[in-house]
Amino acid sequence: MEIRFTLNNQEVVLDVNPSMRLLDVIRKELHLTGTKEGCGEGECGACTVLVNDEPYNSCLTPVINVLDKKVMTIEGFRETKEYRIIADAFASMGASQCGFCTPGMILVTHALLKKNPHPNEEEIRFALAGNLCRCTGYQAIVNAVLKISEENK
Amino acid sequence: MIKHFAPTSLNEALDILENNDCYIMSGGTDLMVQKHVSSGLLPKFDKSVLYMMNIKELDYINQDDKGNIHIGATTRYVEIENSSLIPAIYKEVIKEIASPNIRNMATLAGNIANASPAGDSLVPIILNDASLILASKNIERELLVKDFILGVRKIDRKANELIKEIIIKPQELNYFYKKVGSRKSESISKISFLGAYRIENDLIKDLRVALGSVYIKVVRSLEIENKYKNISSKEIDDAQFVKDYLALIDPISDQRSTKEYRNQVAENLLRAFLLELKGGSK
Repeated sequence: MEIRFTLNNQEVVLDVNPSMRLLDVIRKELHLTGTKEGCGEGECGACTVLVNDEPYNSCLTPVINVLDKKVMTIEGFRETKEYRIIADAFASMGASQCGFCTPGMILVTHALLKKNPHPNEEEIRFALAGNLCRCTGYQAIVNAVLKISEENK
Repeated sequence: MIKHFAPTSLNEALDILENNDCYIMSGGTDLMVQKHVSSGLLPKFDKSVLYMMNIKELDYINQDDKGNIHIGATTRYVEIENSSLIPAIYKEVIKEIASPNIRNMATLAGNIANASPAGDSLVPIILNDASLILASKNIERELLVKDFILGVRKIDRKANELIKEIIIKPQELNYFYKKVGSRKSESISKISFLGAYRIENDLIKDLRVALGSVYIKVVRSLEIENKYKNISSKEIDDAQFVKDYLALIDPISDQRSTKEYRNQVAENLLRAFLLELKGGSK
């Protein structure tokens, strides 16, 4: 089936099975490996991408569900100034260690800040609840987002 | 042969279902897990698949002149959470389902059709007598969700039907909701409990209890509820009330919890609900 969508601001047309996981389309068909696969069942959030600015778990998204939509992965987001702000805050607060969860954490952070530029700690924890980190233990990540929230004031 | 259909209108979908027995896929958050094989491989289906999410006409929440709220089949949890039309109790329950990412993808219709005994949205849906519309090419029928769900992953859907919308009623009850899971976010319930009541002039005019994850489907008993109506809450014998409900449930031990734990927590939640009903502290 021919499936058309926008990936990182560029139009993509693929002839693929509509049940193919968006994650496999991104990593195996389009060779963008910034999006990670952790659990493969929608619990860890390592595979998070933005679909029309909302975080989706790409491991559970059949590619047909992004037909005519805008998909953003960490590779596309890396080119923006918003990325630089979030990446600098994560670096300065020690919010990334092994880095496996970081692409998902950064994209969810961006989606949150776009809707709510000054989130408090509770709102940050609520927004990041679908992304697991096994290294830093969340506090450093929450602190990084809080830092941006403060600086946005 | 397994076929994949991605209709863009309801009529197109219903035409397809006349001639094809299909899995109906919405957000994919249950089916894509159930049919997953391995990283890099396609999910394995044993029959054809119809994908719902490109049917834009079913993405709506609106209210009719009787005050009932209609939720289209492709409306996602995130839209329900953010809609001013949706009663607070549904939002409270939905905010504790899975994670924000999942709620951006998953639909209420999908959670109902999945018919898991641990489906959290089913608890307020069944307690509040919500119904749904099943559409096929030539006819639509409305039935209560409690009658639509027959057992574990068993639903009263014919092969040519799909859920078109869910209809919920506006409610003026006091609610007591508790979900018990191993962590705050992303947990599948060990047990979920929703109690509701309305008291007028010290008499209980409405009393309802629904329990999830303790039986093959959500447990609710009109018989028990009626027994405790039109009396003062002080007249309820706590031990008898607990006994009435524990006789109905039959929890299992699984990877999330044990039969004994679920029975004990069900009793504790029933007693906590009675404390609130009788005006005690929560």
